[in-house]
Amino acid sequence: MNPLGEKYLRKDFLPFLFCPGCGDGMIVQAFLEAVDELGIIDDLALAAGIGCSAWIPVYMHADVYKGLHGRAIPAAIALKATKPSRKVVVFTGDGDGLAIGGNHLLHGARRNIDITVVMVNNQIYAMTGGQVAPSTQLGSRTQTTPYGNLEKPLDGCKVAMAAGATMVSRWSTAYPKALTRTFKKAINHKGFAFVEVVSQCPVQSGRYILGSGAPQFNFQWIKDHCVPVDDPAKIGEVEAQGKIPLGDFLKVEKPEFMEEVQKMNKKAQEDRAKGGNR
Amino acid sequence: MKKAEKIEIDRRYCKGCMLCQYVCKFDVFEPGQERSALDYLMPHPAKLENCRVCRLCESHCPDMALYVVAKKQGKEKES
Repeated sequence: MNPLGEKYLRKDFLPFLFCPGCGDGMIVQAFLEAVDELGIIDDLALAAGIGCSAWIPVYMHADVYKGLHGRAIPAAIALKATKPSRKVVVFTGDGDGLAIGGNHLLHGARRNIDITVVMVNNQIYAMTGGQVAPSTQLGSRTQTTPYGNLEKPLDGCKVAMAAGATMVSRWSTAYPKALTRTFKKAINHKGFAFVEVVSQCPVQSGRYILGSGAPQFNFQWIKDHCVPVDDPAKIGEVEAQGKIPLGDFLKVEKPEFMEEVQKMNKKAQEDRAKGGNR
Repeated sequence: MKKAEKIEIDRRYCKGCMLCQYVCKFDVFEPGQERSALDYLMPHPAKLENCRVCRLCESHCPDMALYVVAKKQGKEKES
């Protein structure tokens, strides 16, 4: 087994429950590499909801919270608020993060609290059997849209940017090194970091949307349809060709929520000591 | 140039997706005849001498079952 796995995985939970060729295992590996390079396994707290990608943190030897569908971000905010020295990472899927947990994503990003949200996008509800998801491309045939999907897909990165996230990136499983680098940057970033990972799902999105369940075919589809862009201005150009832009789209510094809370507490205590009105 | 001493494929975890064969630029792997503990046909590193320890197969293995052991070279320590 990979030495990273020997070091950081819970052996009694193995093998992974992911289907053969699933991208989630690659994300586990890329994330563990980032954790290993930063040496933060003891400070790490992971949260997840329900979905294939929500199983990612369960295999890691860190503090893990696995809760209700879509409600991982509130739990992560609580973990951060009770101990701000923790490094909190949320693993969520496109259904978990954009559909049922979409509201929590908006408000987490708006608060700019120092957590990292990793959203694994496989363009379908894979765990429940291949139903249409908010990120499913227009015209795709799934179990619940047998004549093609009529709803326009929701772009997680744009939603996060509009809601006020201070770091937004998108990469795919075909770029494991870039993924590791982005995870490191996101964990070190002070503020709400949103990382979308375009991942292959041979069994559900492969069979129903793309037309083949072969892992190689799905992996090649991701390679062909995801284009790294170095300039965020080129995003529209790539999207006009029907492809998915990858890259680090946004990184700005803004006041972080827990630091602001601590400042406010200090100021309130000083005011009270002076005999202020509150 | 780096060379591989061996490529370990953990038969407890391999699911035979053959992405290692697909991402390899030097045709190291071929479909094997041995079955893993999960009853999938595992890849076999048939042309190990072609391997240049780029570790693409390792970082693309979805089950973290694969590990490339590099040959020790001169003063270099084993990575």
